[in-house]
Amino acid sequence: MYQTIRRVAGPALAILAAGAMTVMLAVPAIASHLVVRTSFPSAATVGEGVSLAVNLGTPDGAPLVGATVTYYLHMSFAGVEGEGVIGRAVTDDVGIGAIHYLPRAAGLHEVRIEYRAPGAATVEEVLGTFDVAGGEQLVRSAGGPDIPGINPGLLMAVLGGVWLILLSVAFRLVGIARASGRADPPAGAGPR
Amino acid sequence: MDRLNGDPPDGRARDVLPDGALTVEPSTGRRGTAIGRRRVLHMLGLGALAVSPIPVVPELMRIAQSGRAAEPARGTRPPALTQDGRIRQWTMIIDLRSCDGCQGVGGPPRCTAACIQGHLAPEPMEWIQVFEEELPGGGSRFVPTPCMQCQNPPCNNVCPVGATFSTPEGTVLIDQDRCIGCRICMAACPYDRRFFNWGEAPVPPQARLADYSAEHQVPARKGTVMKCDFCPDMARAGTLPYCVQACPNRAIYYGDLEEDIATNGRAVVSASRFLAENNAFRWKEELGTEPRVYYLPGHGEAVGRDAFTPGRAATEWPWTEIVEGAETWSR
Amino acid sequence: MEPIIQWRTRLEETALAPVRRTSRRYWALVAALVAVVGWGLYAYSLQLRDGLIVTGMRDRISWGLYIATFVFFIGISHAGTLISAILRVSQARWRTPVTRIAEFITVVALICGASFVIIDLGRPDRVLNVFIYGRWQSPIIWDVLAITTYLTGSIVYLFVPMIPDLALFRDRLTGSTSRWRGWLYRTLAIGWIGNAAQRRSLAAAIGILMILIIPIAVSVHTVVSWIFAMTLRVPWDSALFGAFFVAGAIFSGIAILIIVMAILRRAYRLHEYVTEKHFVYLGYLLAAFAAIMIYANISELLIHGYKLEEGAEFHLRQLFLNDFAPLFWFYLIGGLVGPIVLMLLRATRNIGGVIAAAVLVTLAMWIERYVIVVTGLRVPLMPYQPADYSPTWVEWSIFAGGLALFALLITLFTKVFPIIAVWEVAEDQEATVAAPHPAGPAVPESRAPIGG
Repeated sequence: MYQTIRRVAGPALAILAAGAMTVMLAVPAIASHLVVRTSFPSAATVGEGVSLAVNLGTPDGAPLVGATVTYYLHMSFAGVEGEGVIGRAVTDDVGIGAIHYLPRAAGLHEVRIEYRAPGAATVEEVLGTFDVAGGEQLVRSAGGPDIPGINPGLLMAVLGGVWLILLSVAFRLVGIARASGRADPPAGAGPR
Repeated sequence: MDRLNGDPPDGRARDVLPDGALTVEPSTGRRGTAIGRRRVLHMLGLGALAVSPIPVVPELMRIAQSGRAAEPARGTRPPALTQDGRIRQWTMIIDLRSCDGCQGVGGPPRCTAACIQGHLAPEPMEWIQVFEEELPGGGSRFVPTPCMQCQNPPCNNVCPVGATFSTPEGTVLIDQDRCIGCRICMAACPYDRRFFNWGEAPVPPQARLADYSAEHQVPARKGTVMKCDFCPDMARAGTLPYCVQACPNRAIYYGDLEEDIATNGRAVVSASRFLAENNAFRWKEELGTEPRVYYLPGHGEAVGRDAFTPGRAATEWPWTEIVEGAETWSR
Repeated sequence: MEPIIQWRTRLEETALAPVRRTSRRYWALVAALVAVVGWGLYAYSLQLRDGLIVTGMRDRISWGLYIATFVFFIGISHAGTLISAILRVSQARWRTPVTRIAEFITVVALICGASFVIIDLGRPDRVLNVFIYGRWQSPIIWDVLAITTYLTGSIVYLFVPMIPDLALFRDRLTGSTSRWRGWLYRTLAIGWIGNAAQRRSLAAAIGILMILIIPIAVSVHTVVSWIFAMTLRVPWDSALFGAFFVAGAIFSGIAILIIVMAILRRAYRLHEYVTEKHFVYLGYLLAAFAAIMIYANISELLIHGYKLEEGAEFHLRQLFLNDFAPLFWFYLIGGLVGPIVLMLLRATRNIGGVIAAAVLVTLAMWIERYVIVVTGLRVPLMPYQPADYSPTWVEWSIFAGGLALFALLITLFTKVFPIIAVWEVAEDQEATVAAPHPAGPAVPESRAPIGG
């Protein structure tokens, strides 16, 4: 009987070990098995870009290369709350993926970074927050063209000039009226 | 008788005879002429004075009226602001992949119907109008078309009295108390989005109860222009416009370009990313009007519409009763 | 050869005759015109009460007969500018008998044209907003400024050369005319006695005005065209519009001048002063401007027709083939080719032929303004079926009232003001008799009066 167990134990252990290794290799993204670290700025300002980085690694310290992560930002507008994608990154050869993000709203930003391994049913996610202070107006309403040099002043100048000339004609008429009293000198040789 | 050359007249003595003596004709009354001359000088002097300040009269009238130069925006409340005090810049994104002209739900397009109900828009005004456009390869798509809220608005540029104006949020509004009804803005708009009150607007009587403001054009004034206004009063209060709320497929997104955010009532998106990743376009981009309304190309496929199914139900104005003296007109 | 005094006296009597005597036919004409104007006013009162819904204009074609007529009237106001100013500057002697009537036409046409803009407004009660809130960036404000300047300038330009003739009226009509007329002539003659100082001032004033009025007139119809060209409508989006409209304005102005001249010549027996030569010269001018218009049309239409962009194709089809083809072809053939043919053929190079050409041109130019306005707005902007426009009886009535007002004002003017520039015609005649102008027109002056 001991001889039977000893004969079975070796291959059984080998099979168990192989199975465990297979299992480990095949499902590397089980949450409890992945190390995810984020690197967010402590503070930011509206309109100034920041880098939101994430570092993915296996539990034994090896970096997770070439993994696509998606960044979601919690947004709220007109009474509707939800998450919107703000970027995607692919981790490089040291497992770091980062997006360059320009904050557009002030207040607390809650970012969720999600990693879905190919073929996996579940996702890895990590949450991070950073505060954004208010900034300058980024988008301005134009409301029409601005052509340098064509302005009301030019128009007024031209128009004023025309009316001044008409005024000078009016003065000529005044001159005619005033010259009514004076008759021509009796030389009789006026221009003809 | 050549008075111009001072020739002696035939038969009647005037001022100068050939020998140079002066005579006075009693009947002409030179004294009468002298009085007339003074009066004429007086008139001419006054005339000249009256005429010369014409170029500055408008400014003088404005200052006399209000004590200050005219501001462009009237009758609107302070602009909508983000949390940190920046002015919101309203925008609309219309996802044509989800618009089927309400073929799927049946009946006239809900966006137009809600806008008509909410603003008591007179027939036949469709401030947001669903056009059916033929696609180059065949088939058609439906394009809900509100006012484009251009950033280089042709209507603003041509208005003689500034009755149509841009707010700080980028929205183009109309002040129906100032509009003189010249309709040059209607000739200038390249999107067919301005409507004229040709007669007394055929609206239900309750329209008369509303307080008119440029942000909520109820009741309509006869002889003035009106159009979609992006519902700025609702947006400022944090409510979505009628058309956005009413769309059964949630095809219309309303957003703020300053905060780079938009929503269709269910989902929230980053506006710039949403536009870029979905190949957004604007209508008649080549005209340089810089519209604030973006479109995502499609033909209703996301809600199951086949591109070759034509036709949509006609818009209705469901008033049971309209004000007296009003009659509808055609477009 | 008759003595100059006798010729001069006859000229003055001709000028004074309308004021001295008024026939029953005149009052009948005035009554008829007043009736038409009254009918137009009635139609306008309906429009004021009910709004513009009584017209045929709607959202898609929002300008129609009123704006077309406005442009037409402003166009014919250029009659005065061409004849009085340009021909004065170029010292063309033959213009002298027609200058006064041309200047009348200018002032009256501007008044009628400006009325049509106000008639077209949806809120005429707010017309003062244009002055209180006027925006300098708007083509309509440019229009208001240009037209008021031109109207003022034209009234002055009508008045100033009329001073010596008003003095003639003042001197010769005292006692034989009503008190208000006597007062009017005395006041308006501003003490003219014809001495050297006054003649100098008058010459200086006329010299300033005749040069000033030309750029003002050019600017007026240019800014009127920019009301269309500053929009994004495909048929209106043309760099050529300013020049095209100015040429068209002078063209239609000459035609109206010919017609009014023919009527007044018959009514007031001006045959001796307004001769066949004047009609033929004006006919030549008409033909010349017809050629310019043909060139402008070819420039405009060929460029778009060659490429056939989307909106341009629709527009050219509606002009040449579809809805507006009859009107547009009449304009091209009758209005542009017609005058040239009529002036080329010796058989029609006379008063009758020139008047026929002028009538064709007047009709054709109104049609052209109408076609520009309506077809410009008719090209669909979005995917919808093109709309149609047909003026209602209210619009036609107001249009008729406007035309009647034009005719009425000219008719009334002829009874109050001298219809011929007596001193200029006399000056021209005396200069021709004294020393035939070496650089003047080649046609010799006929000494014997035509028709007595």
